[in-house]
Amino acid sequence: MTASKTHPTIATDRRFPLWTKHGAAAIALLGLWFATPAAQPARSPRNASYSIDVTLDHAARSLTGREVLTWRNISPLATSELRFNLYYNAWRNTESTWMRERAFGRSLDLHDRRESDWGWIDVTRLLLLGAGDRLPIDLAGDATFIAPDDNNPNDQTVLAVPLPNPVLPGETINVEIEWTSKVPRTFARTGTIGDYYFIAQWFPKIGVLEEDGWNCHQFHTATNFFADYGVYDVRLTVPTGWVLGATGREQSVTDNADGTATHHYHAEDVHDFAWTTSPDFVDLKSRFEHPDLGDVDIRLLLQPEHRGQAERHFEATRQTFHYFGDWFGAYPYDHVTVVDPAWQSGSGGMEYPTLFTAGTRWLAPTTTNGPEEVTVHEAGHQFFYGVIGSNEVEHAWLDEGLNTFATARTVDQYFPHYWERRFFGTFIPWTFTDIPWSRAIDGSRLARYRPNARMDIQATPTFRYWPGSMFSTAYYKTALWLHTLERYLGWPTLQRGMSTYYDRWQFAHPKPQDFFDTISEAANMDLRWFFDQVHGDSAIFDYGIAQLSSRDTTGRGFFDGAFRDQGSSSAVETTVVVRRYGDGVFPVDIVVEFADGHRKRREWNGRSQWTMLKFEHATHATSAVVDPNRILLLDVNYTNNSRTTTPRANAAATKWTLTWIVWLQDLLMTSAFII
Amino acid sequence: MTLVIRAWVDGLRRVATAPMLWLGVYGLTLAATLPMGYVLHESITTHLGASTVSTSVAEGFDAGWWGEYQQSASGIARTLVPEVIGFAAVLANLSSVADGELPRGAVAGLVVVYITAWAFLVGGIIDRLARQRRVASGGFFAACGVYFWRFTRLALLVGSAYWLLFAVVHPWLFGDLYTAMTLDTTAERNAAIVQFSLYGVFGGLLFAVTLIFDYAKIRAVVEDRRSMIGAVAASLRFVRRRLATVIGLYLLNVLLFAAVLLAYAVSAPGAGTTGTTVWLGFGIGQAYVAARLFTKLAFYASQTAYFQSELAHARYVARPQPQWSMSPMAEAISAPPHES
Repeated sequence: MTASKTHPTIATDRRFPLWTKHGAAAIALLGLWFATPAAQPARSPRNASYSIDVTLDHAARSLTGREVLTWRNISPLATSELRFNLYYNAWRNTESTWMRERAFGRSLDLHDRRESDWGWIDVTRLLLLGAGDRLPIDLAGDATFIAPDDNNPNDQTVLAVPLPNPVLPGETINVEIEWTSKVPRTFARTGTIGDYYFIAQWFPKIGVLEEDGWNCHQFHTATNFFADYGVYDVRLTVPTGWVLGATGREQSVTDNADGTATHHYHAEDVHDFAWTTSPDFVDLKSRFEHPDLGDVDIRLLLQPEHRGQAERHFEATRQTFHYFGDWFGAYPYDHVTVVDPAWQSGSGGMEYPTLFTAGTRWLAPTTTNGPEEVTVHEAGHQFFYGVIGSNEVEHAWLDEGLNTFATARTVDQYFPHYWERRFFGTFIPWTFTDIPWSRAIDGSRLARYRPNARMDIQATPTFRYWPGSMFSTAYYKTALWLHTLERYLGWPTLQRGMSTYYDRWQFAHPKPQDFFDTISEAANMDLRWFFDQVHGDSAIFDYGIAQLSSRDTTGRGFFDGAFRDQGSSSAVETTVVVRRYGDGVFPVDIVVEFADGHRKRREWNGRSQWTMLKFEHATHATSAVVDPNRILLLDVNYTNNSRTTTPRANAAATKWTLTWIVWLQDLLMTSAFII
Repeated sequence: MTLVIRAWVDGLRRVATAPMLWLGVYGLTLAATLPMGYVLHESITTHLGASTVSTSVAEGFDAGWWGEYQQSASGIARTLVPEVIGFAAVLANLSSVADGELPRGAVAGLVVVYITAWAFLVGGIIDRLARQRRVASGGFFAACGVYFWRFTRLALLVGSAYWLLFAVVHPWLFGDLYTAMTLDTTAERNAAIVQFSLYGVFGGLLFAVTLIFDYAKIRAVVEDRRSMIGAVAASLRFVRRRLATVIGLYLLNVLLFAAVLLAYAVSAPGAGTTGTTVWLGFGIGQAYVAARLFTKLAFYASQTAYFQSELAHARYVARPQPQWSMSPMAEAISAPPHES
């Protein structure tokens, strides 16, 4: 990786000795932190742990924080620098990589924001704390902003901090950082609106040191995050009376004399920490209870206007823990916080360890996906993101795709619902009560994958995807190919593979090959041919019936210079030509149905561009279908998968044309109100 | 109040006793859609081809096929979206007007043609409803021709007013003002209240403009006015002096319109029709269209009745019944010139 360097504006207090001011206090805090009651045996490496004190100034919409990072080098490399993500600097200027990508991926709407809407983070002190009697060492002076992904000199989301001495494998260091930050109007699901705050990606956060160096990317618009596991001990000071929820469990609340209260939260074996506060939350509690999966306390911070939807949030969360637990493995924590985001906060539908944001509407009929689908998805991320800490920046499909697949499966199991459209500024919902939601089509969002099927190869690092089609490639394509695998291998096999993956890679950083290996192992077959196409390529899958014809065979033909009868035959010969229109290869079945109701099935490996199949039967064929059970959900054109001698295209066209005509008449009449 | 109800009932009666008028505008509304309907039919038929998928498309809503079709569709076929189904179609169209979304592409062209056709017909319609007697097709179209050019001039004023409303006022109300009022709103309910309040404001402006131009058209026909500026000014005076009554009458017609919508909301067919129920569903749709056109005619008729009751008398129209001018050949056949 190449890196461009710019010097950060770090205000450095060089009045030593700092040891007495900060180092001793920090070490003392660390002692307190490790002495926190009810500490669990470590389930993760816990190599990046934080003790943080932060104060929210609501009037100034700013944070003032101080953290002590205890970082252990668990890589096989010695490192002579540290790298930190300063995500809030993505909104320091309009030329950051996040803003640039947002502009070409979607629109320029965010560039017009008010001055007060922007955000940033300034590191004001950076010390390497000494062990024993050694004095802290100021690291701020040599720290530089780097842009390892695109050399963008205006991007200040990665801070490289040279160390006086390398940190050897297995060695632990303590770093103290002080910072101030301006909380933006929500960008990327972190920020504030009114008196609602959702604060994520808010503190200087160390990257992940891997076998080949630092994995600490700039903040990109289409990707999420990646971090090591640790213990977070956080004291959050906010105005008194405000409800606060955060990653982990609340240990205590202390009312301060200045109209603020300090909430102490503690979380173990997590790789991030997010929090929210507002005076308006309705604070509700419920519980998931299961004899085998363990009990989980569910806390719901609900917007007052959604009070009637509380149970829907709880039930969706419980069902997620139930189904995901049954299929993949138990949720390992005993608590979770569900946050119902404020209207227009832009913070909905996002996952953080032991906390997630859902999202609903003021009018949300129970017959539509309401808060349930997003709640299931984000609760599902507690498994594929929270427990399985894959790299979301490089392999977003490993959590988003798996979770989209499992979300659709869960919704299909417990929450049948219908299509919905919204009118009048999207405030008024309308349910199509005769169009049920379908897992195969709607759950995997085939229609949204199809137009972007060629946009990116899934194996490309996610942060290099075209931002506008990241969802298609990472979310929907994965859901489609996993559902295809489910139909191809059978659910028990895929479920066994996914649960093994979940069990094997808990609290670790699996890579795509780890997932592929686990599934192949469960299936007891080499599935590289499949993964190479769906992950390593942008292959399009499209099989179709090109020809279906039947003819009576009399046995008479031209042989050796004369017409002769070659025995008597009253059979009908049916010819079916099957084509592979796309470049993707998948084994498919072909079923031919005959006039007498008989069916004949053939298998085809699907490799050649086309194949011709001959059938002899007593009657003419009436239809031929390739992939009749729709195993291959990635097939972008299923209409051409079949031919029949009695098509009902005319009836279908008549039905929908008549329906459309009434709509058009209504449009004409509505438009003509001006006359 | 009695005056309002009497005018309204009189208006309903006038429409009910002019079935050919009602049938004519219904025929126009149906015929306008048929060419595009044919194109759509061919497009769907071609897309489905000989596929067995056609069965599920014919018998219900095949979400997979809809996705494929929409992906490959172009032109008017792109307008075949789930929103066209049943009462959602009505909501979608009303919502589009309320949210200032104009039709696009070929459909927009058809809308322009349809409005132009109404602009041609409206003079004859008001004339017929004002005279309350059969005028035959010749007389009807003659009246259309007489008033069309006047209404073309009026259309400049009408067009300017609606342009101002939709191109200037609407973006300001629902863009700048709505944004300013809801920028820091954290409760959707509050935002919805703002949105619907603004719908009320915009609807009020639309109502005012429509009302004034309705009476301008009525005065142009009943009083045989040639100056459309004069007709608008006269309409303004009329509305201002009888504000409560004209508003009451308008609201009664709005209630009738709402009743028609409600009836269709209850009876509109869904996506599950097949075979004969497809045609039954279409029949219900046509009944709705006819009822809605009745309502539209009732607006004209009741307002005309009220105007006549105030400033003229029932059946009064200043201009003699326009006659369809015959071609010279027809004239010669029917009345040969006398040789001297």
